[in-house]
Amino acid sequence: MNDAFSGNSDLDPFTAEIIQLSLTAITDEMFSSMARAAMSSVIYEVLDFGVAITDAEGELASAGAGIPSFVGMLDPAVKAVIAKHAGGIRDGDIFISNDPYTGGVSHINDVSLTMPIFHDDRLIAWTASKGHWLDLGGMSPGSLSPAATELFQEGLILPDVRLFHAGKEVAPVFDIIRANSRLPEQCIGDLWAGISALRTGERRLRELCRKYGASAVERAIRAYLEYGERLSRLGMKALPKGCFEAEDHLDDGRLIHAAVTITEDAFIVDLRDNPPQDQGPVNSTVNSTRVSAQAVFKGIAAPGHWANAGSFRPLKLLTTPGTLFHAQAPAPVGLYYENKIRSADLICKALAPHMPELMPAGHFCSICATLIRSEDVNGADRTFIEPEVGGWGASALKDGENAQFSASHGDTFNCPVEINEARNGIEVDRLTLNGESGGAGRFRGGKGIDLRYRILAKRAWLTAEFSRRVTPPWGIAGGRDGSRNRLELLRSDGQVIELASAANLELGRGDIVRIVTANGGGFGDPRSRPSAEILSDIRNGYIDTTEAANDYGLESRTNDAQSPGAGPN
Amino acid sequence: MTTFRAASDVGGTFTDLVYYSVDEETAACGPVNATKTDTTPPNFERGVINSMRKASLSPADLSFFAHGTTVVINALTEKKGVKTALVTTKGFRDVLEIARGNRPDLFNFNFRKPKPFVERYLRAELDERVGYQGELLRGVDLEPLPKLLDYFRSHQVEAIAVCFLHSYASTENERLVVERIKQLWPEVSVLASHEISREWREYERTNTTVLAAYVHPIANRYIDSLEKQLHASGFRGKAFMMQSNGGIATVQAAKANPIAMVESGPASGIFAAAYLGKVIGEKNLIVLDIGGTTAKCALIEDGEVKVGTDYYIGKTRKNPGYPIQTPVTEIVEIGNGGGSIAWVDKGGKLHVGPQSAGADPGPAAYGKGGEEPTSTDANLALGRIDPNSFVGGEIEPDWGAVDRAFKPLRDRLGIDREALARGVIRIANANMTNALRLVSTNKGYDPRDFALIAFGGGGAMHAVALAEELKVPRVIVPVNSAVFSAWGMLLTDLRRDYLQTRPMPLGPANAPTVTDTFGSMIAQANKDYADEGIAASQITFEYHADMRYQGQEHTVKIALPIRRPEEPFEVDESIARFHDAHEQRYTYRLDTGVQLVNFHLVAVVSVPKPQLLPKPVTGRTLAQTSLPGRKVDFDKHGIHEAAIYDGLALEPGMTFKGPAVVQEPAVTLVVAPKHEVSVDGYGNYHVAISLED
Repeated sequence: MNDAFSGNSDLDPFTAEIIQLSLTAITDEMFSSMARAAMSSVIYEVLDFGVAITDAEGELASAGAGIPSFVGMLDPAVKAVIAKHAGGIRDGDIFISNDPYTGGVSHINDVSLTMPIFHDDRLIAWTASKGHWLDLGGMSPGSLSPAATELFQEGLILPDVRLFHAGKEVAPVFDIIRANSRLPEQCIGDLWAGISALRTGERRLRELCRKYGASAVERAIRAYLEYGERLSRLGMKALPKGCFEAEDHLDDGRLIHAAVTITEDAFIVDLRDNPPQDQGPVNSTVNSTRVSAQAVFKGIAAPGHWANAGSFRPLKLLTTPGTLFHAQAPAPVGLYYENKIRSADLICKALAPHMPELMPAGHFCSICATLIRSEDVNGADRTFIEPEVGGWGASALKDGENAQFSASHGDTFNCPVEINEARNGIEVDRLTLNGESGGAGRFRGGKGIDLRYRILAKRAWLTAEFSRRVTPPWGIAGGRDGSRNRLELLRSDGQVIELASAANLELGRGDIVRIVTANGGGFGDPRSRPSAEILSDIRNGYIDTTEAANDYGLESRTNDAQSPGAGPN
Repeated sequence: MTTFRAASDVGGTFTDLVYYSVDEETAACGPVNATKTDTTPPNFERGVINSMRKASLSPADLSFFAHGTTVVINALTEKKGVKTALVTTKGFRDVLEIARGNRPDLFNFNFRKPKPFVERYLRAELDERVGYQGELLRGVDLEPLPKLLDYFRSHQVEAIAVCFLHSYASTENERLVVERIKQLWPEVSVLASHEISREWREYERTNTTVLAAYVHPIANRYIDSLEKQLHASGFRGKAFMMQSNGGIATVQAAKANPIAMVESGPASGIFAAAYLGKVIGEKNLIVLDIGGTTAKCALIEDGEVKVGTDYYIGKTRKNPGYPIQTPVTEIVEIGNGGGSIAWVDKGGKLHVGPQSAGADPGPAAYGKGGEEPTSTDANLALGRIDPNSFVGGEIEPDWGAVDRAFKPLRDRLGIDREALARGVIRIANANMTNALRLVSTNKGYDPRDFALIAFGGGGAMHAVALAEELKVPRVIVPVNSAVFSAWGMLLTDLRRDYLQTRPMPLGPANAPTVTDTFGSMIAQANKDYADEGIAASQITFEYHADMRYQGQEHTVKIALPIRRPEEPFEVDESIARFHDAHEQRYTYRLDTGVQLVNFHLVAVVSVPKPQLLPKPVTGRTLAQTSLPGRKVDFDKHGIHEAAIYDGLALEPGMTFKGPAVVQEPAVTLVVAPKHEVSVDGYGNYHVAISLED
């Protein structure tokens, strides 16, 4: 029998299980210690960070992540450090990486820390952590600017260098970081939070080696990877086989396309020959695109919280260097997340019609990251960055969910209004589900939100760029497309300006930044939605009577003349 | 004259009653007794009366009665509360539905978000606004209220929750609305958020208030009915309800804030451990309670049980659950108990739990149809459980069923029954070790500074092995450890937790503000207790604060160095305590400003407690307590002919070394070689763990 028992006759399955349980417990512990010690809300609330244990070669053994994207973003950092420092890695070293084209993967703000774990002078594993830092310099506060045209404008590059040498701080690197950030205290605080995670992991891994022996730990990790692979391959058996294709339009009209081939033993994502990389920062490195394909593959082959490098072994990714999904240095990648979410969505679009119970219609498909920096009368400088929630697509089983973070997120928490107001120099005027139509279907797409930030500071600057401003989320099987994401500026003088994007756009006191996120796509013919559900939607204000008549054909039905009214307000 | 003090806890299956007699003149206490009867849904109070009848106790004999009920948690998990509406700040009626937007099931495209307890058409907005510093920006516009209440009436609403933004900082607008609603519609249940929580985070506070309103009429009806039945039977004493914070509250207070009863059961064992620890001089304890289905872990530092407000119902690795911002004893609970099943997943990986054979069919050895191997079966196969006194001697182990249950896994692994049993126990122990780490090492505590106190049906069985693993130097198994939690119900004090969010930089300039804030919280506590006829002189206070470095979000709770509230507040000492606590927990300290976020005042009124009775010494020898020896498998310590002792016969002062097993009708203490057991004056077992390997 091909299972954990027969594959590793030299390691008893109980010890293997106990070591594997410990690996999960250790990454959980690393995760909570980092979340709790972090200085900036993008880490502690948005959970824009991850931790991992890899084997000696950098293969992911266990991950603790708040978002699926950060499962699979840390092993490349370890591999890059191994490649660069082979032969010179010592006990007590810690390395720091954020070069997206080597160990950094995503963008400059995401800083990886990696630490080799030795036992009896032998390298047996690595611990790693990665978090989104608020500012590492660059042309714009927050380091992310839609106006960037080269990587160098996006902040300080840390190319897989030593931060600790045999247990001792490399002080100049700390100094350089401090000197290059507009928010040095938060960066250094988040840096220590990351180190605390590494050390927590180190302590526990050493205990594990003392107790069971380093070789048992190594063998248990190997068996764990094989287990991950086995689960994915089992899941693949139930998937339809064949080649599935989809295309979509970016908001600027360019056509993107994907072909996914599922065979008995491989899952091949072909993103070749897509448009050339951008001048601007909505580019992905190939490692980012791989993480995007991994999340989709995992979601249909082996959904569940847990993943390691074995889980992704059946996946193959094909890309063309120099294109949107495989940018080359020194192309800027600051807003990579708006690209990565589109590649994942495109892969989903290819698959969804063929597995409508596993894969819902398109969701709002944007991080909707909104960065506001403000300056008080007394000169105090504050920056916050927030992703926004939006509508998810409907599936063959249910309506789409309302107001959830995007598929690139996971256990991400929004910032409470009460905390946001207390610390960020803004007042939130409104946070409700949006009043937009879109997403009609037998199962209805979920609702996005309508959020309004009023600027209270003397001056402020807005940076934001949303996808799906023009091309709405896709419906399936006769379900309608969803609505669109929208960014508006409501000037204090009454002017309303719709923004395609904002790069450090200056705002004044009393101006309102309005964010409307999209409704997800619908599933199935809206006219087949039962009247009772439509009436309940009207009563709850999810749709109005015009939509009920036009999209759902409610008026033409005979048995339900009564209008339920539309709620208290 | 002799009266009785009693406590009852209504569980899913059984209603427990514990009680003892008190001579009102001499204050001498009798022994603590316990009885069990069936729980009687949906009229749970009937089971309580039944249990008294079974114990031959009349409510008329009771001077004190404390009651723990699951009526609140049941109404929430079964969604059987009343139809509830919400009134909130204009522009924010969807806060309850948007929630936090998180999806813990990271890779699941078909995630289902928990549905709010109030549908959107019953969520209304009023124009009002309070700023984050508590400043009134816009008074509340009450004009739409009469029409709104008509609308709610037309939809058969029975309870209304009122929650406005920043109401933790200023309660004025909420008060006005509640007052007006009570005038306009006196029959409806109405709760404002500031009556339930004074902490920030609007989703958490709104949801807490909504859930409180949702169960409010039900909890009130329940308590009223219980009181009526007690009084009808002649009860003249005081009745109290058990609270999630580990204390009790008067029925009046419980009716005003029913959500505080959401977790009334599990905490009592933890408080019993803290109490016993104080008596026997063990103030730092890791607590382990192993039952049939789950194991619960908690940590007691310097005699203090940790109470926090970061509590959820229905939260799992896949589900965000519903937050409830009410003080709850901090417990980690995992699906590992005596009935936990060993199984192999489709990828070929071996697990123990969280599925449990429960009480029915129970472990395979019960012979009641259990077909899968459980922890209890493994302990039996290893000789740790005495087959001759299995389940208190009530059941003859069904060895055939055990063999059948073990066979599929044995065949798959090609190993014998004992090797499989050892493996199952090792994995169960690893699960419990990881849970114990969550409350200790994961929070920066070194287990070597603690003793492990273990109780519940399976606590004594596993405690010594877990202590070896965690390097805990001492294990304590309390006398009557199988009913230790029930005993704990008689040890709880009246307790109120007051939390107030009021973020401020902590420095000399703010010291008077700290004093003032606690001063007004004390005044509130004095008033609340006075309303129940309790004098201020009976109240003792504990002062805590949730603090953090400037710029951080999450806080660390510390005990403040306040002895008398009128003395000047010691800023430097408080900051020093915070730095230490932060470093212990997160491995570093920062040279950054410190912020005080939440004030936390605990107001306790002590109630009389049963005395711990010394165990009699008759001069019996250790040899006289011996039972026939048997071979016991101690896993890594080998298979040994172990000494077996009758726990009920052991006397204070006796000591012996492993390999040994101590047996009581519902307790098995397994002691591997080298470790030394001693019996203290009360009959508690202390095991000194030999940590040399």
